[in-house]
Amino acid sequence: MLIALENVCKIYNQGQANEVRALSGIDLSVEAGSMLCLKGPSGSGKSTLLAIIGCVFPPTSGRAAIAGKQLARLPDRFLTIHRRESIGFIFQKFNVLPELTVLENITLPLLPLGISPRERRQRAKTLMERLGIAHRENFPAGQISGGELQRVAIARALINRPPIILADEPTAHLDTPLSREFMAIMQQLQAEGKTIVIASHDPLVFEHPAIDRQVAIQDGRIHVP
Amino acid sequence: MAKRGIEKQLNILDYALSSLWRRRTKNLSILLVFSAVIFLVASFLMVSKALSDRAGQLLVAAPEITVQRMSAGRQEAIPLAHGERLQGIFGIRRVVPRVWGYYFDEVTGANFTVLGVDPLQMPGGDGLATALARGRLPEEGEAGMVVVGQGVVETLALENRQLFSLFRPDLSLKTLTVSGEFAKETGIMTADLLLMHPAEARDLFLIAPGFATDLCISVANSREIETIARKIAELLPDCRVLTRPQIQKTYQVVFGWRSGFASICLLSAVAAFIILAWDKASGLAPEERREIAILKVLGWETADVLAVRFWEACLVSGLAFLLGMLSAFAHVLFFSAFLFRPILLGWSVLAPGLSLVPALALGDFLLLAAFTVLPYLAATVIPAWRSATVPADSALGG
Repeated sequence: MLIALENVCKIYNQGQANEVRALSGIDLSVEAGSMLCLKGPSGSGKSTLLAIIGCVFPPTSGRAAIAGKQLARLPDRFLTIHRRESIGFIFQKFNVLPELTVLENITLPLLPLGISPRERRQRAKTLMERLGIAHRENFPAGQISGGELQRVAIARALINRPPIILADEPTAHLDTPLSREFMAIMQQLQAEGKTIVIASHDPLVFEHPAIDRQVAIQDGRIHVP
Repeated sequence: MAKRGIEKQLNILDYALSSLWRRRTKNLSILLVFSAVIFLVASFLMVSKALSDRAGQLLVAAPEITVQRMSAGRQEAIPLAHGERLQGIFGIRRVVPRVWGYYFDEVTGANFTVLGVDPLQMPGGDGLATALARGRLPEEGEAGMVVVGQGVVETLALENRQLFSLFRPDLSLKTLTVSGEFAKETGIMTADLLLMHPAEARDLFLIAPGFATDLCISVANSREIETIARKIAELLPDCRVLTRPQIQKTYQVVFGWRSGFASICLLSAVAAFIILAWDKASGLAPEERREIAILKVLGWETADVLAVRFWEACLVSGLAFLLGMLSAFAHVLFFSAFLFRPILLGWSVLAPGLSLVPALALGDFLLLAAFTVLPYLAATVIPAWRSATVPADSALGG
């Protein structure tokens, strides 16, 4: 299993007056090369679960093994290193930096890896050509369309060549044709062997034929209908 | 591995540069204020060092021992007979009487220094002629002849005339003829100077014949200055005995006091700027917070974010330091440090038009860097630690 969660709990502000139990008793396993959709309403815990799978933080309790590493045993620094080697993130609203150019946004994850500008550009160019945004290379990200922005976010998630792609509400700000286009790209990536986990409450996503499995989250637990 | 590390730092430096450019309005204003602070402190240090150096060079020609008569704690005229009494002290080479005083010109509001001395009697006095830009030193017996400094020429508009008059204390006029002008390079000592024979100075101040304001003493062996000074003090108990090292020390103290006073004012400006920088760096705008969260979720470590802030601070402070130093250099060299002249050139209303050569000791340079660049780095990088620890999950949705 590429992703294996066992009895995972996440509590924010533990022991304080504003303690929040975001996840409880999550058991989840995801095979390499599959596409999983976490569905559920806002505040159900999807993003927290995605953050744990994405090695952003370890669970408060339980076991989480991502791409062969037990998160609970990893200090923060190694969690970061593991994240940049294994995970590609696509955010809600895409989270690109509007003042940076398309090329600069895409290559951001490569800067702390000590990769030369030439190699960064080469890798980004391949992805931009594949995603049809090569003509926007030197445009500030704040000046391109929503569809192009989405492709920039995908290119940035792929630039590190990670085995796992995580997408958090990726279609929340897209119209139907762009949402379909997004899912088509995800399908291609899955076909290339990427493991994809998407958190969404958009039916266009969780009912898409490429989705291998849907997991419903409600009040921080996996909901079995 | 090392190559990767260097490449990583270059990438982060590149990102820091683009980050500075993105917030160029804010960073440019910080750069300008920081440069201005460094400019003020550096030009102040340069001009005070240049002035001390210049004064030190010129004081080499000062008398080795000066004797002044005191009465009720105040200086008064000394009889020339006192000089004759000193001839018996072994080691004294020459005793030259001098009339030294100040003349306040009510019309121009300037203070002139009047020095009545026979330069040819002073040791090395014949060399004084080399300090003249034009003309010659007054010769003995020449009535009313005077050598003037450049400040006096400008103040009294003596460019196209030789004759001018000053008031005696009884308001009668004394007419003087310009026989020469001191060179600009000697301005710190001569700008407000009127050099004449002691008899002429006595006449101007109405000092009785046979008296002077002080006696200048040269000694055969400069190592004996203190011993001879002590013997003079024993022989003339009503007199104050000043040695050249003491006068040099007084100059240093005067410059030091003025420098210290202005330094405190300028360091306050530096401190205010550092507090401002700290305040700026510790407050984090929402878009900066979002940027850091995005970088961290994309795999940037806290140390990487901190490195960006460090390079930004280095670039801003380094550039500000360079700009400030260059402008200070230009201010002192090309504009004769016009901002600090009133503070450093003394109480005299007449400001000497001397040209200064910027000088800064390595220690001062390092001190300046330590008091400006380092606090700025600390004031921006330490609060940046807080911003760099923004949790990565804040880039994710709810």
